[in-house]
Amino acid sequence: MTRSAAGYWIGFAVVLALLVVAPLVLPEFWRRFVTEILIWGLLAMSLDLLIGYTGMVSFGHSAFFGLGMYGAAAALLTVRPPNLWLAILYGLVGAGAVAVFVAYFSTRLRDIYFAITTLVFSQIFYVIIFTWTEVTGGENGLGFSQPAFAIPGVVSARFTPVTLHWFVLAVVTVSYLGLRRITQSPFGMVLQSIRENEPRTRAIGYHVERYKIVAVMLSGLFAGLAGVLYALQNKFAAPDFVFFLVSGEVVVFNVMGGMGTLVGPVAGAAFFFLLRELFSRFFTEYYLIPVGIIFTLMVIFVPQGLLGFLRRRLNQ
Amino acid sequence: MTPDRLPEPGSPHGNGRGAVRSPILRTEGLTVRFGGLTALDNVTLAVPHGEIRAMIGPNGAGKSTFFNCVTGVLRPTSGRIVFDGEDITGLPPHRISQKAIARSYQITNILPGATVLENVRIAAQSRHHSWSLVRHHRAFVDVIDRARAVLDAVGLGDKEEELAANLSHGEQRHLEIGIALATEPKLLCLDEPTAGMSVSETRATVELIRQIATDLTILIVEHDMEVVMGLAHTITVLHYGEVVAEGTPAEIQANPRVQEVYLKT
Repeated sequence: MTRSAAGYWIGFAVVLALLVVAPLVLPEFWRRFVTEILIWGLLAMSLDLLIGYTGMVSFGHSAFFGLGMYGAAAALLTVRPPNLWLAILYGLVGAGAVAVFVAYFSTRLRDIYFAITTLVFSQIFYVIIFTWTEVTGGENGLGFSQPAFAIPGVVSARFTPVTLHWFVLAVVTVSYLGLRRITQSPFGMVLQSIRENEPRTRAIGYHVERYKIVAVMLSGLFAGLAGVLYALQNKFAAPDFVFFLVSGEVVVFNVMGGMGTLVGPVAGAAFFFLLRELFSRFFTEYYLIPVGIIFTLMVIFVPQGLLGFLRRRLNQ
Repeated sequence: MTPDRLPEPGSPHGNGRGAVRSPILRTEGLTVRFGGLTALDNVTLAVPHGEIRAMIGPNGAGKSTFFNCVTGVLRPTSGRIVFDGEDITGLPPHRISQKAIARSYQITNILPGATVLENVRIAAQSRHHSWSLVRHHRAFVDVIDRARAVLDAVGLGDKEEELAANLSHGEQRHLEIGIALATEPKLLCLDEPTAGMSVSETRATVELIRQIATDLTILIVEHDMEVVMGLAHTITVLHYGEVVAEGTPAEIQANPRVQEVYLKT
């Protein structure tokens, strides 16, 4: 192992240890805050696979996130007793199905056309969920009870805020390591080649559309997983989370934190929520004005994002 | 290595008509029209195995259009392209590449933000396990070995960790050729490989092309007549999309029709 690789893993272990300890020492409000950042961070990371590594800007991640949420809701409302693993499975199937659909149509297009197509699809799903009241609960969404953490024959325990945090942390950490490995795999190198020079990637023999479809599907699955976690934490699914504003925020997390680093978008999410917390105390509902100004300044002066300076080390 | 590839006979120069050798690339009545403009007009030619074939002609003669058809970027309006006995007309670029036709570009077309090694490695990877998602790309040592061998062949062996964007113009042009070579082509299409090069860089590039030509067929578009005359076994002259002459460098130089084409423009 080279020295910089050792540095990476030491940094990883330190951050992970801090996140494990966090719920034990933080007050209730901030514990919840950290758990939510991990969930939004996973959503942002899933988008980074497209924005940062493949060079495709998706404004449709709210659809995958939302379908993960509603998938989990479906499992928790229809299967008795509520089962955690089924909630995850249903959420992934829901998000995966939508991702296949969106990927199939949107990856034929490039740049702004791709972005617009993903946005339109997410709005279509928003409208379906918002209006199909009998199934989705419409505007009010769906409420349900939290499943227990159960591994048959090993353990069965109700979630406490602290154990839920650890569960979320475990899922997000494994997802991060999985996404990181994907970005370093031969497949991931093809995605980065597409980002750098798409016609050239075609010319050396890669079926670019097929790689993009798989990238969107993988990204959608991880986004759906984030949706499941959010549903588990908040015990509801609501149409607001399928609305494209959520997709926009996730793009902002990526830009703020540093695209193409995976952890940058998590830092971006944390930074954004901290700013919102800070400014909403002084500016109440107008908090987006100062946040917007800071975002604009960052795009001008820190275009690489908060962790952009670590890009090489994070990707080695 | 294909069994049907014939050994290069004796000296590569002067005997390049190659009528006895089977063609690796053949076009029949290749025509491309853009609206009212005919960019390629009924081009029929055959390039034998192992030949260095140059295509020359004034600007707008259809050389790049011909390249774009062979490499799948353009679909011909009519006509056929047969490569290695197989009809490849209208296949998309990635399929053409998988059939073992590679190209380098007139304008340097590399992955600027990636290292020199990665530029070539990603091309080599396209022939093997490119769909693996769970292993680190550096675990596929065969691909890296192949990439390093190619870098050594194009004289960039000591620059592998350099960012491609930081190479000199001449080095980027060689990297361009390296990327094409890494896909293990049988036919290599070089689009003005010495464009913008100094005299010494040009000389080095000619030497490089001559070396790599020992085990593949090369189709080259070039404006530098010294390069063309020194390298090509056979020259095809295009003018307004039509083949106006074909022959050895000596024959082409003596051809009154060719002189007319070049003097007129």
